Amino acid sequence: MSEYLLQMTGIDKRFGGVHALDHVNFAVRPGKVMCLAGENGCGKSTLVKIISGVYTRDEGEVLFEGKPIQHITPAEATRLGIQVIYQDLSIFPNLTVMENLAINSEITANRKIVNRKRWEQTAKEALSKIGYEIDLYAKMGDLSVADKQLVAICRALLFNAKLIIMDEPTTALTKKEVDALFKTVRQLRDSGIAIMFISHKTEEIFEISDDVCIMRNGKNVYSGPTAELTKKDFTYYMTGRELEDDYFVPTNISKEPVLKVDHLTWNGKFHDVSFDLRKGEILGITGLLGSGRTELALSLFGLGKVHSGTITLNGQQVKITSPIDAQKKRIGYVPEDRLTEGLCLRQPIADNIMLSSLKQLTHALGTLKHDELFEKSNEWVKKFSIATDDAHKHASTLSGGNQQKIVLSKWLNNDLDVLILNGPTVGVDVGAKQDIHALVHDLANQGLAVIIISDDLAEVVVNCNRVIVMKDGAIVGEMTGDRITEENILNIIR
Amino acid sequence: MNNAKLKRMTRKTEFYMFIVLILLCVLVQIKSSGQLITFPGIFTRLNVTVLRTMVVDGMFAMCSLVVMISGGFDLSFPAIAALAYSLSTTICLNNGWCATNPLAGFALAVAIGWVLGMLNGWIISNFKLNTMIVTLGTQTFFTGISMGLLKLKEITSTLPDGMKAFGKLYIFESADPVTGIRFTLSAMVLFLIALCAIVSFMLNKTMFGRALYAIGGNEVSAERAGYNVKKTKFLLYSAVGALAGFIGMIRVCMESQSIPKAMIGKEMTIIPAVILGGASIYGGEGTVFGTVVAVGIISLVSNSMLILGIDTYWQQFFNGLVILVGVTVSALQAKRQKQ
Repeated sequence: MSEYLLQMTGIDKRFGGVHALDHVNFAVRPGKVMCLAGENGCGKSTLVKIISGVYTRDEGEVLFEGKPIQHITPAEATRLGIQVIYQDLSIFPNLTVMENLAINSEITANRKIVNRKRWEQTAKEALSKIGYEIDLYAKMGDLSVADKQLVAICRALLFNAKLIIMDEPTTALTKKEVDALFKTVRQLRDSGIAIMFISHKTEEIFEISDDVCIMRNGKNVYSGPTAELTKKDFTYYMTGRELEDDYFVPTNISKEPVLKVDHLTWNGKFHDVSFDLRKGEILGITGLLGSGRTELALSLFGLGKVHSGTITLNGQQVKITSPIDAQKKRIGYVPEDRLTEGLCLRQPIADNIMLSSLKQLTHALGTLKHDELFEKSNEWVKKFSIATDDAHKHASTLSGGNQQKIVLSKWLNNDLDVLILNGPTVGVDVGAKQDIHALVHDLANQGLAVIIISDDLAEVVVNCNRVIVMKDGAIVGEMTGDRITEENILNIIR
Repeated sequence: MNNAKLKRMTRKTEFYMFIVLILLCVLVQIKSSGQLITFPGIFTRLNVTVLRTMVVDGMFAMCSLVVMISGGFDLSFPAIAALAYSLSTTICLNNGWCATNPLAGFALAVAIGWVLGMLNGWIISNFKLNTMIVTLGTQTFFTGISMGLLKLKEITSTLPDGMKAFGKLYIFESADPVTGIRFTLSAMVLFLIALCAIVSFMLNKTMFGRALYAIGGNEVSAERAGYNVKKTKFLLYSAVGALAGFIGMIRVCMESQSIPKAMIGKEMTIIPAVILGGASIYGGEGTVFGTVVAVGIISLVSNSMLILGIDTYWQQFFNGLVILVGVTVSALQAKRQKQ
């Protein structure tokens, strides 16, 4: 028997003109946790789908337990002992825990009639594999994400799984739940099961994995033991760039703060938050999901509530009642989910860019000046090098990074004092990420006050000259300059 | 019964619908001074009328229920029923069939319904289209075939004798104590009971039934779990088509007439009833019991309005209210589940 459970060499896959996987080599050892890491769109999920039999590879060899596998189908993958736990967990929220656990094996056994006793037995057997206890008759949809995940793991174990692939399992979990999940993962690993853990979070990968395979643009750029890798190397492999060069250096900070927040409170969301912001600064606000960081931004933009405390803009105390009011007061906000909140995907690029400044582009009767709209939007297309040949095309034709540029230019069209960016590079590819960062640095140095809200610590560290850390709705730490490091932030969050 | 079981039961819509039905029965019983149920002879003129109304509506509701559980909407089953029964009675009449028994008529109606259902199933499973839009299209298409292409006529007094006789079969007969007019409990109620039993067994005890719930809950997961979603949907819609043909023929026999236009708009009273009975508009939820209870409530109300001294125009008002309440509750439950 070979040292590896699964060994893949020279895997190649193209979708039309896109080279999704470029001769990827990949191997998993039994009883080890292997992390498949990489930025969004690097080919991770394509590779997983080839292993699970959803896609067929164009080229390359696959060895499972030393035996070559020619053609993998989903059924074949299950038979071999490969189980994928997808990000959405593939559960049925309307069925009971028992049914969720038993249904897959019942289908595989090609049963026609339901036998409750057998289902219950199967479900109990599944739960006993990791010693997990839960009401079998509870409705799946009523469980927490962490519980759903454990049920999904138990279900995978029913198939005598030798390799369990977990696709970004920690995305919707709290830190505590992540710890519990890792405990289960280690338990499985110690029982000899190979775990393939897909993630792009540095901390997690170093905590849980034995081996790591890093992918970038469809190629694997590193594979080997995690212990032999430093975090700096890791980031380099992930992004393909030395990030040090791009640290933000403020050159143009004003004396007087443009925005001052005093004891701001939204009951139940955040409380007693005070900070100030000067022109030319990039202020980072970070914290875990549910720490109140997004709610704080919403309140500054008139979308959230303010129960007590004050907001002062340019020395004048103000109340921000709505997004329109916020724009009048020269505050801009780029939301977290740019696709649903910030863009009209089925509308032309030009219209999207000019959306929040249409008032300046209308005739007396309120009809639009189309030529001027197009001209002005073309200026932005050039300035931000948005990758399109025609601004009449729909925004949906662009990549994530270019879409983010549209959202940014939409706001910069209006003269702003304060720009709030929430998760500005979520789902954006590496190149565009760097472009957006450089752009934000320029804007700040031209005199704009910027707030970046992000849980991507690397992003906060690189781009901010000051960082506020939030936890449970309150500010628990603030750091500036050299004191801003991922470790320092993590120490406060934990 | 332990506590957890009781708690789960009280969270279900059908539990409350059942209580509403009981309360309504009590109300009607009191208001009509005992006309709903008499002792010892349980059947009365009023309750056999309610049951009679429930036969066709209840059976149609089963069609709608299974489709809704799978996460779809079928707007075309009344149009399928209408085309199937109008065409098959016309054929029977022209050939002199069904003089003694309606078997040929039923066989034809089921076959026609099946073919039409297969068309639905083929379009929906192959092209992965929104079921509501597809069946809205086929509904109009089928109505167009029967009205325009085939120009099917109303058949009333000339309906084959075998069909008429079959529709008049009864399992209970009595006379109204006040007026002395004879009334009967139609034997067609047995078909409703049998269908409910079959559908209930199918949904709860067969893997096909669980597949419908699984697909309605999460189609992608159902596919990953190993269900053949395409095949299941095709089978579902073709079976519903065949069943609709059968139900249509039952209605022809019961009413002793075949009217091509009689089914137009029927889906708009059936679907709300199914939703009221606890089926989710997003799929994955619904029971035979809840559906029957909801159909019972609607039949009871519409048949006892006169007795309760309510103008029958209020029926529209009541139906509208049912749609709003049913859909709102369904949507709120789905929202709660998402959180």
